[in-house]
Amino acid sequence: MGPWGYVSLAYGIVWGAILVYLYSVKRRYHRAAAELSELESTEASAGHAKK
Amino acid sequence: MAEQPQPVKRRKGIFGGLALVAVAAGLYWSLIVAPPDAYQGDVQRIMYLHLPSILIAYLSYFLVFVGSGLYLWKREKRDDLLAHAAAEIGVLFTALTIIEGSIWGRTTWGVWWTWDARLTLTAILLLIYAGYLMLRSLIEDQQRAAGAAAVLGIIGFLDIPLIHMSVYWWRTLHQPPSILRPDKAPWENVHPTMLTALAISFVGFVLLYFYLLSLRYRVGEMREEIKARRLARGE
Repeated sequence: MGPWGYVSLAYGIVWGAILVYLYSVKRRYHRAAAELSELESTEASAGHAKK
Repeated sequence: MAEQPQPVKRRKGIFGGLALVAVAAGLYWSLIVAPPDAYQGDVQRIMYLHLPSILIAYLSYFLVFVGSGLYLWKREKRDDLLAHAAAEIGVLFTALTIIEGSIWGRTTWGVWWTWDARLTLTAILLLIYAGYLMLRSLIEDQQRAAGAAAVLGIIGFLDIPLIHMSVYWWRTLHQPPSILRPDKAPWENVHPTMLTALAISFVGFVLLYFYLLSLRYRVGEMREEIKARRLARGE
């Protein structure tokens, strides 16, 4: 492998891993946000039902 | 509550956009504008990833240290959330530093790995904080897990001064610092274009880091809120 091959390997691994991590955090973020808003809406509808 | 207020979302968007611009500028300077090194040639361009990666890992572990100390002192959940989020990102950047170093070492030293003091201490740092994350998932009682992890988070930080001084204290294959040297200013030792590329790359990494940290911290915050609401409902 030539020098640019090693440079490409290093840059590819680093930016690939950072993108995969960013994707995983964003997915966790959206999942948690959806779960939380679902809880909020069931709580709100339960509150209305009580009234 | 699930969705963040509009100004916070907008601020995050601007921050993410700035990080993207800085990262793109860093890549352009590192791969195109900066000249090849006189001795190592183009392979030296790995430095523009290697140095920012390890500095981001150190910054992460500093935040773990601060968050853990504050948690043990005040027992406030937000400090533990900060430490947890920073540890996760720190582990990622430490692993990347080792991988980049390994590729760079293969071309300059002829080996992928050697039990050099600095390399070994960095591998230990990775193991300590990977252990920190495992510890949190292994102990069921959340408060006990946070307390034990905080102690490990503080002890683990002591490895960083050892890593920094290792090239002075022992005969290592890893070179001593070229930029953060006590006897010379950075511009006396490194070509200004290389220094500029490194600075831009570093700014890109820092912005990206705080963007990732804010996202990861918010995930922890929301998970806590979900848990509290479920508990209140008796689930």
